[in-house]
Amino acid sequence: MLDSRVAQSAIDHAIALGADFAEVFVERNQVNNIATLSNQVRDIASGIDFGVGVRLVYGAKVLYGYTNRTDADELKRIASELAAKDRRDPATTAGAFDFRTAADIHEAERTLSKDSEVRDKVGYLFAADRAARAASNLISQTQGACGQREQAVEIFNSEGLHVRDTRHYTRTRVQAVASNGTEQATGMNTDGGLLGWEIVETLDPRKCGAEAARQALVNLSAKPCPSGRMPVVIGNGFGGVIFHEACGHLLETTSVAKRASVFHDKLGTTIANAVVNAVDDGTLRREWGSINIDDEGMPTERTQLIKDGKLVNFLADRVGAAQTGLPRTGSGRRQSYQFAPASRMRNTFIEPGAASFDDMIASIDRGVYASHMGGGSVQPGTGEFNFAVTEGYYVEDGRIRHPVKAATLISTGPDVLKRISMVGGDFALATGMCGSVSGMVPTTVGQATLKVDDILVGGNA
Amino acid sequence: MTGTVEANAERILERILATGATGDLVVQEQSSLSLKAHDGELEEHKVTSTRVYGVRVVNDDRAGIAYSEAGDTDALDSMVDQALVNAAFARVDPAEAVVAGNTTLVSDDAMLCPEDPTSVEVKIDAALYLERELTARDNVRNVPYNGVQDLVAERHVFATTGRTANSRNRVCSAFAYALMSDGDKDALEGTQRHARRFDEIDTAWIVDETYQRCVAMLHGEALPSKHYDVLFDVEHQADLFAVFHDMFSAKTARDGINPLRDKVGERIAVDTLTIRDAPLEAGGLGYALFDDEGLATSTSTLVDGGVLRTLIHNSATATHFDVPNTHNAHRSPRSSMGVGLHQLEVASGDVDEGTLTGGEYLEIVDLAGLHSGGNPVTGDFSFGAAGFLCRDGERIRPVRNITVAGNFFEMLQRISAIGDNQHWNPERSALMARIRFADVAISG
Repeated sequence: MLDSRVAQSAIDHAIALGADFAEVFVERNQVNNIATLSNQVRDIASGIDFGVGVRLVYGAKVLYGYTNRTDADELKRIASELAAKDRRDPATTAGAFDFRTAADIHEAERTLSKDSEVRDKVGYLFAADRAARAASNLISQTQGACGQREQAVEIFNSEGLHVRDTRHYTRTRVQAVASNGTEQATGMNTDGGLLGWEIVETLDPRKCGAEAARQALVNLSAKPCPSGRMPVVIGNGFGGVIFHEACGHLLETTSVAKRASVFHDKLGTTIANAVVNAVDDGTLRREWGSINIDDEGMPTERTQLIKDGKLVNFLADRVGAAQTGLPRTGSGRRQSYQFAPASRMRNTFIEPGAASFDDMIASIDRGVYASHMGGGSVQPGTGEFNFAVTEGYYVEDGRIRHPVKAATLISTGPDVLKRISMVGGDFALATGMCGSVSGMVPTTVGQATLKVDDILVGGNA
Repeated sequence: MTGTVEANAERILERILATGATGDLVVQEQSSLSLKAHDGELEEHKVTSTRVYGVRVVNDDRAGIAYSEAGDTDALDSMVDQALVNAAFARVDPAEAVVAGNTTLVSDDAMLCPEDPTSVEVKIDAALYLERELTARDNVRNVPYNGVQDLVAERHVFATTGRTANSRNRVCSAFAYALMSDGDKDALEGTQRHARRFDEIDTAWIVDETYQRCVAMLHGEALPSKHYDVLFDVEHQADLFAVFHDMFSAKTARDGINPLRDKVGERIAVDTLTIRDAPLEAGGLGYALFDDEGLATSTSTLVDGGVLRTLIHNSATATHFDVPNTHNAHRSPRSSMGVGLHQLEVASGDVDEGTLTGGEYLEIVDLAGLHSGGNPVTGDFSFGAAGFLCRDGERIRPVRNITVAGNFFEMLQRISAIGDNQHWNPERSALMARIRFADVAISG
């Protein structure tokens, strides 16, 4: 995508300005998004993002700029502007590029550059709509979305790295709206992966539509949620967002290196109940959060974060590794050329245990079963987090009683990790988008159903 | 990028017209400087320059969009062709058309994009100052989030009818969030300031305010779960309204998911509540001379004395509902035509500060989970929150680790008082009188 002589020229220039490390990140991102409203196409949007990011590192200081242009003069201008206050005699020399293509462990077939397959995708979303509306005449409409993108990246750096990779992302979403004339409620079903439109071969639009409708109908009948501290059973799959937010972000060197994470000095210590084992794995074949190489050009890997409750590793990018002395983990990620890379999660999950769902529910006198979770956020410095419950049930005397709505779970990462007392065996992964300092990146969360003994539930009852 | 914006726009529009279609083009150019400090050094220094073209074509009553960050002629031609392909799959919608007219609107650079006399070196010093001064304060462990930014954005709208509009905006900002620890207590608090020129930002105030917020919140505790009267600070009152902005959207009404779609002319709130969209309120950084169809904006009264007077419209929704266009068309180069508020205004009420803050109430100064804890379709929400238990305008004690929950539409019916002063939120995108909500569920 970028003439290597142009990249070499820019990097040589940056090193001549005294940078310890220089990198050129080139991205071409082809996008196709289809949105439907019930049985009509609402929007189809296509586009090309293209740009070049230039990163200079002076010690722990990161200087970053980007442009849509690809000429050497522009890249050198950016480098000069960035280095205006740090210019010094050269501290190192740039290596000659040693080109390689990243090994592709997530091959794609029906790629966007071959064919956007609009007709097929619209057919899929219409089929999901029919299934949702067939579930009940209370389903008033559906909103469908199918997004596919093909992100080609090329990375050059002053250590001689020159690598290319292409990532194919495909994701579907169906949301159903249920209405009884006075109230409305929503339900959603999503799926996605690091592959092309062949993902449709493993997806049944009827199941996706029916599942979205089921959740909307449950929520339409939901009562206000009780509030206060109580035990909560959190469902599998996207329930893993609780670990992602409550713990995962706090294990990124982005916050650890600044001592802005409550776990920054806890490596090697017990931070969770012994039933908790947690992993961040970028190598899972064709999973949404997987990669071949990270956005610094390093092959990705599997990183054990917590073993039997003990913190055993952090997620480190190049700068984070330099700041903490920890090894890089192939976790340097960014949304696009518009962001410098940072340590980020990939597919993050709590490994399955052996507890049964029935035993978890039976152990609760008064609590909540949060079968489906929505998004949330965390303050890394204090560990305080919040998660929205998108489908929940009130539990009393060991039995699930009735659906509840508008509930949020509030706690801190260190607290909740110690209060996970039971982990089931029904492990599942789910797709999401994670926002942080280097933008929005695809991540997968996961877990089996698990029980937290005590957590603050915010409700409206 | 290749060629001027005007030359490329002319080429794109000619290509659209040559196919027998109509269309419009949004071009967004942006350059920015971003600085962050850590441990007494500049940790991040970012300079950027981008341009993106976004085209909408309307062909046989079907609209299609496409965008490109590549500015060469092949890429721009391909963008138009792809938009035409996309249009072929779109629903037939006679309402979605390119508005007739060939007006030209150009915003005032002196007002919206003044020259900034502050040098990069001074801005770097300011970023270092924010971190250094806060780190030196008692119990401040570090300042993990801080920065100085200078953003210049230029927006162009071109239509095949000959309509053009152009606006340049500068926004400078500075912010700092400090992590304070004392024993096993910690608090992460901060503040931000935004202005047209950097020298209008008082960085010393940011340091003092951030420190005071940390001190005030450090020993916060939960409080008993029950229903309280609640006052949000202006920042979070604006955030709360933003979660439910779609209640004013004629686009979501047309899509059948706006619960207020059949409520125009009906009472939706207490009779003291008046809400406007005020794009020409010059004190705001959301000032907009024109919308994204290139049409001149004006103030719209959305809620008048508690009665919903209009939704916000673009030309398509106005045609669909056969009502006047409020000129709230909104689209980025990457998105289809929708609607959006320019600057939300909550009009002053008739209650003075003493009455507004009489008796016991909870002042909420932080909300968490805004992106996930609210449902714009139902109005239900549940957010993490922090603030102060207050009595007669005095803060009695800090409160943390609580949730605030309810239904926003029902809350509009339970407003007990509206203050007689208006305040801008920190981003200067919303101008609001403070509202006292009665009987809000708080869990602690």
